[in-house]
Amino acid sequence: MPIIDVHAHVGRWQFHLTTGDGDTNLRQMDRYGIDLQLVSAAEAVVYDAVAGNAALREVLAQQPRLYGYAVVNPNRPEQSAADLRRCLDTGRFVGAKIHTHYPGRLPGSREMAEAFDVVAEAGVPLLLHTWGREVTLLPELLASRPGLRVIMGHAGGDAWREAAHAAASCDRLYLEHCRTATDAGRVAYAREAGVPVERLLFGTDATLIDPCVSLGVVRDAGFTQAELDRVLWRNAAELFGLGAVPSPTRPSP
Amino acid sequence: MSAYDWLNAYEWLHPTPAEHVGWDVDVLYGSWPRHHIDVGFAEVRARLARSPVAGALALSTRGPLFDDEAGNAETLRDLADCPELLPVGTVDVRDAMTAEARLDELTAAGVRFLRLFTVEQVAEPGFPGYRRVVSLALDRGMVLLHDGDPRRFGPPLAGRGADVIFLDLHAYLLADFLLLAQEEPGFRATTRMLSGPDSIERVVDSVGPRHLVFGSRTPFMDISPQTLRLRYADISDDDRAAIATKNVEELLV
Repeated sequence: MPIIDVHAHVGRWQFHLTTGDGDTNLRQMDRYGIDLQLVSAAEAVVYDAVAGNAALREVLAQQPRLYGYAVVNPNRPEQSAADLRRCLDTGRFVGAKIHTHYPGRLPGSREMAEAFDVVAEAGVPLLLHTWGREVTLLPELLASRPGLRVIMGHAGGDAWREAAHAAASCDRLYLEHCRTATDAGRVAYAREAGVPVERLLFGTDATLIDPCVSLGVVRDAGFTQAELDRVLWRNAAELFGLGAVPSPTRPSP
Repeated sequence: MSAYDWLNAYEWLHPTPAEHVGWDVDVLYGSWPRHHIDVGFAEVRARLARSPVAGALALSTRGPLFDDEAGNAETLRDLADCPELLPVGTVDVRDAMTAEARLDELTAAGVRFLRLFTVEQVAEPGFPGYRRVVSLALDRGMVLLHDGDPRRFGPPLAGRGADVIFLDLHAYLLADFLLLAQEEPGFRATTRMLSGPDSIERVVDSVGPRHLVFGSRTPFMDISPQTLRLRYADISDDDRAAIATKNVEELLV
């Protein structure tokens, strides 16, 4: 069975750790049996969205097991809208990514609302960095954008309880739990709050975080075989329209 | 593919001997009002029994959150018949006038480890109460289990021959910790938040495995992400055993 990682990056980070080009991602994927990875460019997240997205287009052209998120800077919606179209036209980008920390905009701001409009217009899923109680605003933001589907990256971070209830109240919100601090019980809490297993996704934050951290969270969540099948790949394949997922890391059944 | 083969396709799903941990230095039990559920002593023991962690240094949350004297007594009483658990004491740095009596009680009981909760007790490195507690503990040869940012608490502890285990070292702060550890043989950190793909390897390569120990923060954090990170670390088996077990055993003498 495949594994699809819906939250990863390519490129360097401004910390004391080894990162690199797409080959770095592939080495880590092979180590843990991750077949496909959906990535954004670290450069696009922390520095220059347009330049980082352009560099990622080159990487994706060489790495068929990587699919892209085009980073949208909420401070520059018109520029990002055009850049998002450029990326999607390649056929190698399947979604958009918006961070909150680096551009300094949170849900509830005018700029973030405009950025949501850009992604809704493009009609692709949005991976949103979520970290704080502003996640409670997401159901309302989605209510006025009927086609938009949002993955709550990090599942709210330290606001994982609020994120769970937000996701439970809106069937176009998905939870993805990658994070360095692996608070116990987050997955169980979300499911008890009413988030169905069909809206739980597997993400790692590679290559910033080693994938085994998120794999350990999945192990401790105690999913059944059928639930693992959903969380590790099937939900992602359906959300992103990936169809039949090749599994180069393990033999065919 | 049969169900048996299907599950075995995910190697990370099942612990191996490489995940064995002799001593986990970061275990608590009891009430914590900020969390949605409490995990008592029996359940913590059960979680450890289901994990690859064989032994732990533990204490009741009563000490740091409510009453240090009563909490220490509770820890000593609860752990008296638990060979897999060793007691950790604590002193409330907000009431450092009583610190000497608390530390005398702990040393009389044979307690070797003192855990400081500067985050919960809102103590800064320069606060008189904090400085008093640290001086008294170091005078008694105690090992400090220290929360907070090592960049802030490390410098005032340097040059004193202190044995300190930093419990909250994040991968983002690794370079600063390595600079401290180069000068301080007694400075150690837990692997809990060293989530970068090569964070553990960088510590081993630059200052040696003696500067790392295992700490999971059970029951508030998942265990498997931490044991998997150790299992898959690109280090020697001897280095892995030192981090998982032997470094703590040296501190027990």
